Amino acid sequence: MNNDPVARRGLTRGQVALSFLVLSAGIACGLAIYSSATTLISLFRTASTVLFLPLLLSLVLTFLLEPIVAQLEKLFSRSGSILIVYLLMLGLLTLSALWLLPHWQSFIGNLGTDFPRYTTILTGYLRELLEGLHNRFPVIESYNLPIKFRGWAEQLLAAFLTSTPQSALRIGGLMIIVPLFTFFLLRDGRKIRRACVALAPNRHYEMVHDLSFLISKQLAEFIRGRVLEAIIIGIVVTAGLSVTDMRYAPMFGIFAGVTNLIPYIGPIIGMVPGILIAFVDFGASAQFWWIVILYVIIAQVIIDNFILIPILISRVSNLHPLWVFFAIIVGGKIYGVIGMIIGVPIVSIVKIILLEIRTYRSTFRLPETALISDRHH
Amino acid sequence: MDPLWSNIFRKKLDEDSLTNFLKNLPTFSGLRHKDLRTLEAIVHQRNYKPNELVFEEGDPGSGMYMIRGGSVRIFARLADGGEDELAILESGDFFGETTLTAPAARSASARTMEATELVGLFRSDLLELSERQPSVANNILFGITRVISERLQASSIEIRRLQNQLGEHSSPEGAET
Repeated sequence: MNNDPVARRGLTRGQVALSFLVLSAGIACGLAIYSSATTLISLFRTASTVLFLPLLLSLVLTFLLEPIVAQLEKLFSRSGSILIVYLLMLGLLTLSALWLLPHWQSFIGNLGTDFPRYTTILTGYLRELLEGLHNRFPVIESYNLPIKFRGWAEQLLAAFLTSTPQSALRIGGLMIIVPLFTFFLLRDGRKIRRACVALAPNRHYEMVHDLSFLISKQLAEFIRGRVLEAIIIGIVVTAGLSVTDMRYAPMFGIFAGVTNLIPYIGPIIGMVPGILIAFVDFGASAQFWWIVILYVIIAQVIIDNFILIPILISRVSNLHPLWVFFAIIVGGKIYGVIGMIIGVPIVSIVKIILLEIRTYRSTFRLPETALISDRHH
Repeated sequence: MDPLWSNIFRKKLDEDSLTNFLKNLPTFSGLRHKDLRTLEAIVHQRNYKPNELVFEEGDPGSGMYMIRGGSVRIFARLADGGEDELAILESGDFFGETTLTAPAARSASARTMEATELVGLFRSDLLELSERQPSVANNILFGITRVISERLQASSIEIRRLQNQLGEHSSPEGAET
């Protein structure tokens, strides 16, 4: 009662007009900024989708190659060491391509004939299973799962076959861009980081500089650990499968290695195709059980959990499973399969950065000095 | 002279003078030219306005600053909020060197008194350099250690002298009571 007339008296006609003008100008400005921002954002999005993946891969490669280059730098110049590393990499890649190419060709060639066979057999198993279930739960019949499964599998194959040349083209593009980016990141990475850190204001410069060093050290450790883990798992699976009559062992090994980059879910995805095909080919024989043991116990439990993770991956980067699922879902929505693989590492990187900042702050905040500086700020 | 050309020459002279500046510091006087070049690539040049805080007591310290131009006031905070001046440093002096090798909180505050150019040398850069080029890092660290030990020696002599003085004053009193 008391407030209302006071407020009304406080606004004169001129003030009302002024506030109206200010408000409408504000709205106009907001609209203008919004419309230009959306074009800007779309431009930014295009640029980021084009650059994001190559830059990310180059960064990973830079972190991987940095220690080797640093070792060589004691003997040669920086650019010379990078060149030597590149030549070594080229040799290694050529050798692995020569080894892999026949496998890949037979894999793609046989996929068209093998895949329907596998789906037929699997559908048969599924039908048997369903008939057993149907006797107990009659409702299931209406879903007609086997037919659905079959259609889904054929769709998957079609998508894989059509997307292979397309993705091969993209990979070809990456093969040119990524080494180029990596070269400059390796050569000038320190300068680039210095230039970025130099933008910090004087008062926080020292802290930003120190943090950038600590974070990049942690990141390098994390990325090296993850990639090394994936490579070792891939080699173990390939070697284990080569002992059996399993075809395309290197393919399944590579698949297991790459999916191993995704924590929790990745290893399961990585073992599904291998185990399914082993089941179809060998039935419940000794070879099948060996493959299951290889995937689950040897690769995952013994090598990964008992040996690699304690040595390579620091506990700092461990994520709660819930965050892992969020990262995989959001990453998959934004960048597809690649997003699923890189989503989790990116969230881990954010976590490492935040943790590093927190420990840095708490290490140096002694209670006494914190009190004093609080009083003055 | 053409302004374009004069600009180019100025830049070159400036670059030379950073090497010269580092070379004229007692810490790095023993370094070879090649080492100085490497050192130049890892130090950071920062420009400060007059009366700008460089660091505050209790801040995480990660390196030393050398004064290339201007002057810096080192002071401690008093309990009532006042400042207790510890030293005024001029061009060519350096400060904060104790946190270069051992991470610790800053034990005093530093503030510029005029427009000042500081050259910072930080622990992380030295660590990185010691992995890449150990011999150069070794030479740099040796220079810094030499100056720090000289200071430590001087201060321990001073402490001895003060202790003796204190002993002369207090022992007669102690005998009486």
